[in-house]
Amino acid sequence: MTNPRILTRRAGAVVLSAGLVALAACGSGSSSTTTSSSSSKSITVAVAYPAPPKALLDQFTKQTGIKVNWVNIGWDDLQTKIAAAMSANTYFADAADVDWSKVGEYEKTGWFEPLNKWFNVASLKSDMPQVNTFVSDNKLMGMPFDSSFLVTTVNKKDFAKAGVTAMPTTLAAWTADLKKVGKANGMANPLDIQLATAEGLSTCWYQMTAAFGGQVLTSQDAPAFTSPSSPGYQAMNWIVNAYKSGLVPKGNINTTDYQGFTTEMAKNRVAAVMCDYSGSVGSIYNVPASSSVVNQTEYIPTPGAAGVGKNVANPDGIGIPKTAKNVAGAVKFIQWFTNTENQATWAGLQGPKNVVSTFPLPARLSSFNLLTTHGNPGEASQLESIIKTHAQPPFPNGAPPWYVQFSAAVQTNIHQAATGQETVAQAVQAIASQVNTLKTSG
Amino acid sequence: MNASFRRRMLPYVLISPLVVFIGALSFVPTADTTVEAFFRVMPLDPPTRFIGLGNFRELFANPVIRESWVNTAVYVAIGVVLSVVFGTAIAVALQRRSRFRGVILAIIVLPWALPAVVEAVIWSWIYNPTFGVMNSALHSVHAIAGYHVWLGLDRWLTILLIEIVQVWQITPLSVLIILAALQSIQPALYEAARVDGAGPVAMFRRISLPLIRPAIAIATVEALVLSLNIFDQVYILNGIAPLGSSIMLQTYVTTFTDLNFGGGYALSLLVTLATAALSMAALALLYRRVEAA
Repeated sequence: MTNPRILTRRAGAVVLSAGLVALAACGSGSSSTTTSSSSSKSITVAVAYPAPPKALLDQFTKQTGIKVNWVNIGWDDLQTKIAAAMSANTYFADAADVDWSKVGEYEKTGWFEPLNKWFNVASLKSDMPQVNTFVSDNKLMGMPFDSSFLVTTVNKKDFAKAGVTAMPTTLAAWTADLKKVGKANGMANPLDIQLATAEGLSTCWYQMTAAFGGQVLTSQDAPAFTSPSSPGYQAMNWIVNAYKSGLVPKGNINTTDYQGFTTEMAKNRVAAVMCDYSGSVGSIYNVPASSSVVNQTEYIPTPGAAGVGKNVANPDGIGIPKTAKNVAGAVKFIQWFTNTENQATWAGLQGPKNVVSTFPLPARLSSFNLLTTHGNPGEASQLESIIKTHAQPPFPNGAPPWYVQFSAAVQTNIHQAATGQETVAQAVQAIASQVNTLKTSG
Repeated sequence: MNASFRRRMLPYVLISPLVVFIGALSFVPTADTTVEAFFRVMPLDPPTRFIGLGNFRELFANPVIRESWVNTAVYVAIGVVLSVVFGTAIAVALQRRSRFRGVILAIIVLPWALPAVVEAVIWSWIYNPTFGVMNSALHSVHAIAGYHVWLGLDRWLTILLIEIVQVWQITPLSVLIILAALQSIQPALYEAARVDGAGPVAMFRRISLPLIRPAIAIATVEALVLSLNIFDQVYILNGIAPLGSSIMLQTYVTTFTDLNFGGGYALSLLVTLATAALSMAALALLYRRVEAA
């Protein structure tokens, strides 16, 4: 039997070791000041976007001495990560995604640093038409870094096979043509619309409401969709009917991942996508390795109630979390990432090798001019006319601070209406009731 | 410091590192959660303030959360019954020594080793209504006329199919726990029973079952805790849709979608209490019967 004294000493050694581990852990935390010089040489950028080409990031590092650690996280997961980190007041990135829908929330919670110190909103307005989307209570919460908006995409070959060569401009003609296209191509469900309970479903409702000629909230953030004749009500009805009548694949109510959803189009299992993202043609449908519809798809003006409808703009922005460790580095990066030349580069100015995958259009008009001047507009040329003439913001008054709860009510209720658990009228009432509660409490 | 004092202190010294770690990682957050459950903690509605039972009242008034409790009860019932029944059956089948037992065990343990998210993604392809294996297999044997949407349309079918994914994951642990208990039974007991003319069924009922009841109790509690806290499978396969939603999913939605951290703390506290109460009840019930046997 081992001597208890020896055992005690050994146990004491274990405790001491544990203490040292704890001290080491504390040391690593306290050494953040000593590592600040090294951390000032690197930044972490967390966005729901692919990284720019490595060669260009290396150029940035060469110019500034700042190494960029790019973290690409799915949109829904990124929002959770931001909320968890910021509510715990912990560091997670130096620059992060500021979605258009989060501007009011971030301003009210103070989770992101206003950028007015470094960027002048007044002087940006003429070059960045969407910069106002990122301003809340005069605070610039993020810098727009693209001009993303929702589009309608079709497979020209499938439509031609059905004898549809002139694209429909009204939703009635669109619905009739889709049925013909499905029949001609042996597709049971020719249209993709995201119907899973995720942000994409909420955004699609705003888009379809725009196609019907309206917006879901008034300028006072009140419900504008309760009347059956309102665009919001009709849009929801149209989405639910499209699903129930079989235009949309039944499985879409479970396809939560955007990539999985667009795979249907890339594999030619559907002939059209509504509420698609500007950029999908170049980044998904025209990629030979994963698509069987290369050069067959195109964006078309979105069919509306009585002619071509509007397209909801949902630009992406980038901002600086309150807990960022390297604010100066993040500012330099945002300036570089959103400058005129780089914005044009991400869209194809220097050819395909320097394009950022899924990048739709530059946030700056000057970048667009550069693209046109150099005769290399790429995919942007298809989107230019749509955004210049048809794009509109989802809400007249910007995203309200309670947007996240509103969106949760929207997606769950439309999903329930599509799956037959409630009627469209009940879904509309439930969402309106949630808006009124949020307005009162928020 | 005399020898007697040191001897008395030895156990405390030995367990102290564990106490520190468990305290820091479990008790402190639990205590914090318990306190915060009585406060309104909403970044969009500052400041944080004491509201007594307000969070709990809101949670019980919410029909989606009430339905999620019912859904979770069904998840637990299916999870516990299937994982314990299958776990026992597989363990009994593996009780007899064979050349391939090691390989079979390794294969059986695989689902346990995979992260729940990965498994849910795999099963999402199996259940896929357009090109999933399930539709294809059932259609090829004429069990279904056309392809079905398995998830998201029918509440109970959705729950059953999601829970099957979890049962697939947690059953291996039940197998290991019960197999370990089976292997500790003296072979002489079976030989004596065989001499007395007992068949395999009688030997299982009269010898194996009574002696592996403690293991079954542990497997039951393990299945109960895991199925009561089911999240990954529900989130991946069914999103945040209320139909089929579990109570852990609602905790996530309350906390990170609604940004109602106080409500999230309150719901976490209720789930913790439910888990503890049900686990203790299961252990008390099963262990008492074992002692009686």
